[in-house]
Amino acid sequence: MKQLYYDVDKCLGCKSCEIACAVGHSATKDLFKALKEERVSLPRKKVMHTRGKNYPVSCRHCKDPKCVDACMAGALSYDKEKGIVLHDETRCVGCWMCVMVCPYGAIRPNIKTRIPLRCDKCKDKDEPDCVKACPTGAVIWQEEVEIKL
Amino acid sequence: MDEFKEKSIDLATQEMLKKAQDENINTAWDRLELQQPQCGFGQLGLCCTVCNMGPCRIDPFGEGPQSGVCGANADTIAARNLARKIAAGASAHSDHGRDVAHTLSLLADGHTHDYEILDVEKFRDLASEFGINIDKPKEQIVKELSKRLLEEFGKQDGELVFCKRAPKKRQNIWKSLNITPRGIDREVVELLHTTHMGVDNDYKNIINTGMRCALSDGWGGSMVATDVQDIILGSPKPVRGKVNLGVLKEDYVNIVVHGHEPILSEMAVKASMDPELVNLTRRAGAQGINLAGICCTANEVLMRHGIPVAGNFLQQELAIITGAVEVMMVDVQCIMPALHEIASCFHTKLITTNPKARFPGVIHVEFEPKHAYEVAKQIIKTGIENFSNRNKERVNIPKQEMDLVAGFTKEIVFQILGGRYRATYKPLNEAIISGRLRGLAGVVGCNNPKQTHDYFHTTLVKELIKNDVLVLQTGCSAIACAKQGLLIPEAAREYAGKGLQEICEAVGIPPVLHLGSCVDNSRILTAASYIIAEGGLGEDLSDIPAAGAAPEWMSEKAITIGFYFVASGVYTVFGASPFATLGSKNLSDYLTGQLEEVVGAKFEFCDDPLKMAHLMINHIDNKRKALKLKPVMY
Amino acid sequence: MKQFVIIGNSAAGIAAIEAIRNKDKESRITVISDEDYPSYCRCLISYYLAAEIDEGKILYRPLDFYKENKIDLLLNKRVIHVEPKKNYIVCDDKSKLSYDTLLIATGAKPKFPQGIKGIKKTNVFGFRTIKDTKDILGQLPVTKSACVLGGGLIGLKAAYALKKRNIEVKVIIKSRQVLSQMLDFEAANIVQRRLEDNGIEIILGQDVTEIIGNGDIKAVKLDSGKVFGCSMVIVGKGVQPNVDLVKDTDIKVNEGIIVDNRLQTNIPNIYAAGDVCESFDLTKKSYSINALWPVAVEQGKMAGRNMAGDSLNYDGSLGMNSIEFFGLPVVSLGIYKIKEPGAHIEELKLSNTKENIYKKIILMDNIIIGAIFVGDIRNSGVFLRLIREKIDVSSIKDRLCRENFGYPDIIDLLKDKECIYV
Repeated sequence: MKQLYYDVDKCLGCKSCEIACAVGHSATKDLFKALKEERVSLPRKKVMHTRGKNYPVSCRHCKDPKCVDACMAGALSYDKEKGIVLHDETRCVGCWMCVMVCPYGAIRPNIKTRIPLRCDKCKDKDEPDCVKACPTGAVIWQEEVEIKL
Repeated sequence: MDEFKEKSIDLATQEMLKKAQDENINTAWDRLELQQPQCGFGQLGLCCTVCNMGPCRIDPFGEGPQSGVCGANADTIAARNLARKIAAGASAHSDHGRDVAHTLSLLADGHTHDYEILDVEKFRDLASEFGINIDKPKEQIVKELSKRLLEEFGKQDGELVFCKRAPKKRQNIWKSLNITPRGIDREVVELLHTTHMGVDNDYKNIINTGMRCALSDGWGGSMVATDVQDIILGSPKPVRGKVNLGVLKEDYVNIVVHGHEPILSEMAVKASMDPELVNLTRRAGAQGINLAGICCTANEVLMRHGIPVAGNFLQQELAIITGAVEVMMVDVQCIMPALHEIASCFHTKLITTNPKARFPGVIHVEFEPKHAYEVAKQIIKTGIENFSNRNKERVNIPKQEMDLVAGFTKEIVFQILGGRYRATYKPLNEAIISGRLRGLAGVVGCNNPKQTHDYFHTTLVKELIKNDVLVLQTGCSAIACAKQGLLIPEAAREYAGKGLQEICEAVGIPPVLHLGSCVDNSRILTAASYIIAEGGLGEDLSDIPAAGAAPEWMSEKAITIGFYFVASGVYTVFGASPFATLGSKNLSDYLTGQLEEVVGAKFEFCDDPLKMAHLMINHIDNKRKALKLKPVMY
Repeated sequence: MKQFVIIGNSAAGIAAIEAIRNKDKESRITVISDEDYPSYCRCLISYYLAAEIDEGKILYRPLDFYKENKIDLLLNKRVIHVEPKKNYIVCDDKSKLSYDTLLIATGAKPKFPQGIKGIKKTNVFGFRTIKDTKDILGQLPVTKSACVLGGGLIGLKAAYALKKRNIEVKVIIKSRQVLSQMLDFEAANIVQRRLEDNGIEIILGQDVTEIIGNGDIKAVKLDSGKVFGCSMVIVGKGVQPNVDLVKDTDIKVNEGIIVDNRLQTNIPNIYAAGDVCESFDLTKKSYSINALWPVAVEQGKMAGRNMAGDSLNYDGSLGMNSIEFFGLPVVSLGIYKIKEPGAHIEELKLSNTKENIYKKIILMDNIIIGAIFVGDIRNSGVFLRLIREKIDVSSIKDRLCRENFGYPDIIDLLKDKECIYV
């Protein structure tokens, strides 16, 4: 199962990945039109900065997801085959339990739509949009590695 | 309080930052943090937004695209971006100069009675410089001079008159490189032209054109501003003043002037003494009108009238945050858009005065030289009427205020150092030749929240004067050092090396001389030319044991100033972050290396003040060696 | 083949089932519930009452969940007695069921303070079950105004739902603030203002002494003597664990059933989880009941795994609440209010009244033991992690309240290095 990794030395903080993510999840899939949509799509990931380096933060699709346990509406679930944490928007009530328990802070509340913002590995595409969008190749899409550090 | 100590070494600033935090007011420091991470492509100069085939990026790691859609590579992109900044900076200074020259022409035509020729001697000298017969009646000279000055802006060929002030050798270097500025506006237009899509692709050529444009500022627009301001507002003389937020007074109506054009702030000074307004102030329950300044306009009225300086660039929001400012009147340049929101948290009225610099929703009282005094009076009246709206509970004026001596011009240096009998640069040159003085340094420029506010300026200057380098300052840099007590004669005893101390004590000057505002950097150019003319220190400006620095720079104007100094032969070091050129190795190496072979000076980028001081000292020592001067005395 | 019996069909029960079935596909599992409904999301009843979701969405697991997992589901049966010495339970219909391992996940029931006269009248509702909700829904057409007793989560959620249904609502709270079990005074004020701005009336510092009416409710009387007319009362004055079934047994009970760090009771083959159990609270460092959905799931999962043969350690529970009212999100973690200031205790605060943002972080010896977030709840999960893993945050203390604080700030402080950043 592929997972997103980040090369911090190559991340220049341009946030092209954020823009590509937001546009990729919009209805029109076009940057200029996406900003005019009624429900403006927001990025599912964020590039954060600390001590001189840039760190993109996105859902890790944990094998033992805390968010799935905490979801009081049963909207979040883990698909073992695809290795993705899935979110059923129709069941979600915007209680933000998932935001409260994510150990990476990778889920952000979208107060306007009451739906949490969380990376879904662009599940209906071959490859997440952010991978293609990164101009320096800092976003890496590859088979999961079991590294014991 | 530790987090505030990292943001500024100035206690008053630390105090006001805490107040801002407590009152949930965002300042430039907070906004800088939210901007993190700032885009690396922008920082490296590798983002090109010049044409609509873009926007393009060059991958600094070499894997992605190495040219934009048009084929421009990193060198071209970075050089063009830098050139546009030089043009913008030059435009700011030169347009200011034009406004001043325009005021002179209004005076000549009798359209304004609020200004007059105050420095008659300088006026006659300037007229002579332009080849005008000074035996004619004054009114005629004024008319002709103002016409010739304005012509400098529109000239198409030839060279700017002030270029002749530079040593012959330097003028020849410019000629051989084809960078002698022809007309002030023309150079900006041509530089911008070269940055258009599909024009100049040769980074060295772009820099060349950039230098010519910078020279049209330094030896053109800025010099016009400085000299004409001296003529119609009076030349500065050494004056004692006070600096820092503590100059705001609780029982007074506090009026802050902020911006760059003294044709406005001078009127504010005059109007603040108007008996009608003084009466009004008493009736409003205040003890008087307290005029204070921020940024360059503060330096202008400080130099000429000893008006107190409330602070430098990064303190503009903090002045309002003291809660004690009735009116902040602004004109152009370095005025943060954030001031509107901050003023609306208090009773402070923000008033714009220049049609070029408007804020949506802010009171605009248009300042015209024709009605200068009346307009200034009106604005101050608004302040007096606003005094009763001050919320005393929210007032917290930091106690910090420091003395300083300002008002040094090239003419003053003549007079001071020359002694009573003959105004001359000889003693200064001799001091350098004998080794009592190691050399000269110009430390200028802005503030930048990316570094600890005021720390670089003061640390650098202290290290320089410790090593017997006489420091000349302008702008926000001067204010920074003044706040730390470096601009008083007593500072020589505490901080200066022995040689510099001796000179300061003999003559009665501080070890750091305040030459004025940022356009007054032109004073340094002229003074340097006099030093060469006096003799003994070489034949070109690049021979003088001297170096320049802009340790906390922020604005595009700083880039332009850097370029006109380097193009005039002065080695200049920049702090904060380097120019946005690091994405192009060729360009960066050129600016910090080969450029020296071309114009006799180069740039250096350094992020540590002590290292920077020693880079400058080393350079000065090398110049001394080259002149075969005696070693430094102490 | 083992026989697992699980009393309770909600968060803890279902989590336990899934944990057991993950390891053990063969043993028999019987689930007994006193409700007449398959497992549903208890916390969603207020959304159902508010008509923000319809009934179909309230199920916690699909209807075929029990069949798919080979579970015997016994609905509408209450267990009245547990016999630990003989390993069987007794139901209200006198039937008995033997077990090898038992999980008590009976949850809790709403408290109806006996001191309030008239508390037993009809149209005085608790707000815990789907039946409660349906009963309330049934009364809505003839209700114009209602009173909610209690300013906790249940009370305010009920009030919100009623307001959404255009019922005039008054919330009567004994304490001086709303949400006194999860927020400090300042945060509570922000929430209260938001509720009041949206038409919910909040009355503080007063208690209801009598519910007045013959047959139908007509009014409530407060201890101040004031009387408010209303035709419905919802009681949100807390819950008490359903421990009657272990009365007169050796199973150790305080307020709830005491469990150790493996979710076991003092009887080796009896476990407890969820709102019924009392576990070690890792922020209070004492035993406490944390009757919260995510805590129940975590405990049920842990209990299930240990029941299936694992030997996992449960560090303990802590308070963790997330709620949103009219666009104002609020999160409360761990210890949210300091009763007595001490040398080791530190409070970091950020208050921006203009934008309704409030953040408070409580540290003891530089380790976070609690936090409140109002308005901006981003990264609260990172804080939960810092609390759980007891990370010393002295090196990042000045960044904790910042808007752009996040996971990258704590990477260097974590004991387990995760491989996300190359």
